[in-house]
Amino acid sequence: MTTTPPAGVFDGIRVADFAWVGVGPLTSKYLADHGAEVIRLESSVRPEGLRRAPPFANGEPGQERSGYFANFNSSKLGAGLNMTHPRGIEIAKRIIATCDIVTDSFTPKAMRAWGLTYDDLREVRPDIITISMPLYGGTGPWSMYQGFGHVLQAAAGINHMTGYADGEPIGTGYAYTDFFVPHLAAVALIAALDHRERTGQGQHIDFGQMEAALYATETMALDYTVNGREQRRDGNRHPMAAPHGAFRCAPRGDDDERWIAIACFDDDAWRAACATLGAPALADDARFRTLADRKAHEDALEAEVAALTRAHVAEQLMTALQAAGVPAGVVQNCEDLRADPQLTHRGHYWMLEHPVMGVTAYDGPSFRLSKTPGRLSKAAPVLGADTEYLYKTVVGMDDEEFIELLASGAFD
Amino acid sequence: MVADAQKTARARGPLAPFRVLDLANELGQLTGKMLGDMGADVIKLEPPGGDPSRWIAPFYRDEPHVEGSLHWWMFNANKRGVTLDLTQDDGRALFLDLVRQADFVIETSPPGTMAALGLGYADLAAAKPSIVMTSITPFGQDGPYAQWRATDLIGAAMGGEMYLNGDPAREPLRPTVSQAYAQVSVQAAVGTMTAHFHRTRTGVGQHVDASLQEAAATLLDNAAPFWDLMHVNLSRPGNGRGTSGRLSGKYVFEAADGYMAALSYGGIFGLNAKQAVAWLDSHDAADDLGSEEWQEKLDASRGVRTPLTSAEVDHVVAVLEAFCRRFPRAQLMREAQAIRNGWAPVHTPRELAEHEHLRARDYWTPIAHPELGTSFDYPGPWAKLSATPLSVRHRAPRVGEHNHDVYAGMLGLSAARCAELAAAGVI
Repeated sequence: MTTTPPAGVFDGIRVADFAWVGVGPLTSKYLADHGAEVIRLESSVRPEGLRRAPPFANGEPGQERSGYFANFNSSKLGAGLNMTHPRGIEIAKRIIATCDIVTDSFTPKAMRAWGLTYDDLREVRPDIITISMPLYGGTGPWSMYQGFGHVLQAAAGINHMTGYADGEPIGTGYAYTDFFVPHLAAVALIAALDHRERTGQGQHIDFGQMEAALYATETMALDYTVNGREQRRDGNRHPMAAPHGAFRCAPRGDDDERWIAIACFDDDAWRAACATLGAPALADDARFRTLADRKAHEDALEAEVAALTRAHVAEQLMTALQAAGVPAGVVQNCEDLRADPQLTHRGHYWMLEHPVMGVTAYDGPSFRLSKTPGRLSKAAPVLGADTEYLYKTVVGMDDEEFIELLASGAFD
Repeated sequence: MVADAQKTARARGPLAPFRVLDLANELGQLTGKMLGDMGADVIKLEPPGGDPSRWIAPFYRDEPHVEGSLHWWMFNANKRGVTLDLTQDDGRALFLDLVRQADFVIETSPPGTMAALGLGYADLAAAKPSIVMTSITPFGQDGPYAQWRATDLIGAAMGGEMYLNGDPAREPLRPTVSQAYAQVSVQAAVGTMTAHFHRTRTGVGQHVDASLQEAAATLLDNAAPFWDLMHVNLSRPGNGRGTSGRLSGKYVFEAADGYMAALSYGGIFGLNAKQAVAWLDSHDAADDLGSEEWQEKLDASRGVRTPLTSAEVDHVVAVLEAFCRRFPRAQLMREAQAIRNGWAPVHTPRELAEHEHLRARDYWTPIAHPELGTSFDYPGPWAKLSATPLSVRHRAPRVGEHNHDVYAGMLGLSAARCAELAAAGVI
């Protein structure tokens, strides 16, 4: 181990990050965790909503205590900028002149109102890369509509495809698209950065979250445009597998939410599953012998499997099924994940020290680069932590101007 | 040839100068698709006879056929296709010849498989030092579960995602579409592009190791910090919002013509509770929510408020149920947005295919299927880059469709040599 941190892929790249809440911060987190200097531009006049959202360290609400905000903003700097200050827009342009990338996640009218569109900013810096990430993109009849991931999953078809066959389109239990589209936005952003590195040319990225989110719906769109069929949610079932679902296992203490997921795509896996569950004869039951048989009697099949799994400890059953070659896994909760031997082996969680929150866990990237791995360099910034650094060192203000602007509320 | 001409004519994406060899199955086919959408020349390598993922349902006209899988169509559009048997010595030698002319390799075989074939990262780097190799597997290249098996369902379970989905009275759910595969594919694409940028700056290639389980573990909203900070395990909220550690009541309501997602930032009524109640009141639908007592309870604009009791939630939900049922979704959306409440309809596949906004943005892209004498609308670019636009250009390859272009054209093999390799079942 060396004491000097390895060079990050994005060393020397600076990002003026106007985006907030989920999608924008998760997009720029990739750059920050791989070496870019990402500066969250925040205003205490209109604070980032996630700073006020639980969970809070020690359960005490406070804008420097949100684990929700912290987890999305590792490795970033934070500086104050009050866009309602008379000189706010001018100051924003001076910051941007020092940056490679500008991000925002507002509906298009915000950047237009400030005169901070791509066309404005290329005059500040000709090779600038800008990315705007509103729900519905920068043009079109819905472009001024707002919302967030919990409703965008409805608009993008995720709700329609998530739920029980006999029930409502409940969707996932969280703001699904906030955790899908940032990856596509980051890909587009890195591609633009790479293009600039090779050609010197900057550009604007109009990232409509709904358009990216549709890539999470497998063949839902094509089945309609090709076959005219509207696919529909069907619980955990899969047309090419049975059993294919989650089955309750034995309680752990007073916790009766222990479940195992089992996916049998062929008869060998089914036979192995029956043997492991201690019911080898079930594999020869006339209702369940072939995949077609099992699909035809799926309610009965699931009842039989659930009756068997109930007697097993989930983790032990998972290990036994995997040893028998059956794709199976515990339906893990976050407590399980923190103790998961595989995630531990990969070092997924990073323990970082925050001046107010203390040492807390952060998600690292899910992939590993063999020569330039991601590195979470610091905990999330407290509001305005790097204000002086930004304006004096990066922008180059002298003490007099900095103090004058500070006193007049430009950095609030 | 048609596909080649289209590519030359239209691929202006940021990766137009680069080539990808794609060995991925359904676990990672979207990764190569994204690179293809960005203009790269993606060559799909299949075993002779075709990749097993060609048999994933649904099929064109529901007729199972090696060229008819919509899954294959969806995730292999914008790719060329060749057949190659990597279990034969000649096949491996050909593969390394291709690697010398490529920039990326994407594969999804169980850890150790490529190395056992003499095609691990070290072998590829010996042939082409700047190669970026991306390996997408259920659990990653090493570690205690590295050799375990996982499908989309198992990845969603072990990554913590299923625990957060579904009705508390019923079993945990995955989305019925394979989105854990989509998740690891798009996250692997971030890793691949990060490695690519490093190569552009330094000339150095590397190996990218992506894990399905770990990809799912990054999409849990605020559930991980809830455990870390509060020792609370968030769990499935059913038709509600559970992200603050307690249920907010349902958020998907029946409208006159379908379902509506009626939730605003900050809670059921959000930061604009006053305007929201006034809106309901303008339709004589506010019940008693206009009272001062209720206004106080609903207004989240002054920060964290005391959560509603479950009886109070039930009352608010009943008011909203009655309200939403009276109006079509387009009206609800328009009126909600006018007071800055970000409601949206629960779209069905047909509604998305016909959607006025997506149509206005030219999202749906007609792709020709010449053999079928027709074209079909495909999902279009997932980002609009002003200088280097993404594009969906052509349908997925048929089995061995580009063998001649690639082996004779790109590698310069003679017709006699190609025939010999075909006879031996190598290509």
